[in-house]
Amino acid sequence: MNSQSSGERKLQCSDVTKCFELLESILDGDMTQGGKEIMNDKLAKCQPCFEHYHLEQAIREVLKTKCTKQAVPSELSDSIRQKIQGIK
Amino acid sequence: MPRYNLSQSLLLKLMSEVQRRKYSQEEKNTIFDGEFMPHIDSMYNFAYRLTFDEDDAKDLVQDTYLKAYRFINSFEQGTNAKAWLFRILKNSFINEYRKKSKQPIKVDYQEVETYYNSDDVDYQSTTDLRAESVKDMLGDEISNALNSLAVDFRTVIILCDLEGFTYEEMAKILDIPIGTVRSRLHRARNLLKDKLRGYAQNMGYNTEGEEEEAEF
Repeated sequence: MNSQSSGERKLQCSDVTKCFELLESILDGDMTQGGKEIMNDKLAKCQPCFEHYHLEQAIREVLKTKCTKQAVPSELSDSIRQKIQGIK
Repeated sequence: MPRYNLSQSLLLKLMSEVQRRKYSQEEKNTIFDGEFMPHIDSMYNFAYRLTFDEDDAKDLVQDTYLKAYRFINSFEQGTNAKAWLFRILKNSFINEYRKKSKQPIKVDYQEVETYYNSDDVDYQSTTDLRAESVKDMLGDEISNALNSLAVDFRTVIILCDLEGFTYEEMAKILDIPIGTVRSRLHRARNLLKDKLRGYAQNMGYNTEGEEEEAEF
């Protein structure tokens, strides 16, 4: 099973589909019971899972930090409140 | 025979009172200021990434808040206001803005085709894109990669990664089953990775030239 071992992690993942799906749902916060332990185990033992996890995590991180800073036009809140006053 | 003896009209009246809860003016203001307005940054960011136009985004957010106020009685205080508002915004966008948008709708047919013609989700290792290179990318590159995705794919990434909605909340906002949320999100991420891979390969050379070009 673990013939292509390098250091502590195996270089081939035996079930990429299942593993990556699990890793991605955990990153998305869609946690299944015990999912985190299974994940930590995989990350420790499997190089493709380890790399995939860190890539997916990095992507989520940069999206969150670099795509949410759109400056809201200062007049927008006031303009909304004014319109609301009009329909009260 | 029912043991209780409510006339049908009385029953209907009671039911409609349950459904149509009425907030007082003060309660409405509290909900609007306390639960709706704090989400204006997220709402504007979402609107801007849907429309790519400042004025359209402003109109879309404003319309959403006006609708939210008008239908405030159907909002249950203390429930997820952000998801409720996002759902209104997304529906307004589909029903109104997509039609009258100044920009022609950019459809990437290859993306659409791949998306509608395959049910299976393809998980692969991507050894040619590394976490380190993603972290080194500029905000503009990340942002452009996201913006280049077809709107359905862009939307799930915004909801999940930028706004942190759960699969269940996304299913409600988008009116699609959770399984579809999951597979659409996965495809969206694969497409995004393709774009990022392209940037990563170009990294290190010609970056300045490209930036200058982009300004004209």
